[in-house]
Amino acid sequence: MNAVEKVAWTELIVSVLASILVLALYPWMGNAALGGFGLLGLLGITPLFLRKRGKQVVRDERDVEIEKLASWFGFGTAWVLLLISMVVITMWHSHLQRDVPTSLLSVLLWAQFALCYAIKGATALVQYRGTNRAA
Amino acid sequence: MTQQSLADAVGVTRQTIVAMETGTYTPSLALAIRIARVFECKVEDVFELNE
Repeated sequence: MNAVEKVAWTELIVSVLASILVLALYPWMGNAALGGFGLLGLLGITPLFLRKRGKQVVRDERDVEIEKLASWFGFGTAWVLLLISMVVITMWHSHLQRDVPTSLLSVLLWAQFALCYAIKGATALVQYRGTNRAA
Repeated sequence: MTQQSLADAVGVTRQTIVAMETGTYTPSLALAIRIARVFECKVEDVFELNE
């Protein structure tokens, strides 16, 4: 497993764990459970995987291509879903003649952030599939 | 020559060599030339274009 694969696994696992934690705590804690998204802060450790060690190649041209594709998928999907969900929520609440609760927008933003990194990590891992076999 | 020694010689990871062997990755021109130089032959002797 190379450094960029480790980054992808970290992004996927941290995003999924944060989402599961929030979903698990929400019935008991309500909006306070959103603090569970703080786990996403662990994504800050990913640059440590990309540290150069001696003459070892950490990231090459293929890794850069895979990262670019994964980022387009992750950010693109999250952005489109964020906009669509905001339009739907606004229309629904307008239809009911109610204000959109700010807590709902907060949930939405955090969820899209987690979704973005989960898709980015998963896309990169799919690209790396099958290239870890020995000579 | 092992995949790792070729990867070290041309400055990529072993996974990239595997991906090229399996046809799932098309190398850049610079990388193709570096690989050809390692084998002391022409690029077209190492790679072929599937049209």
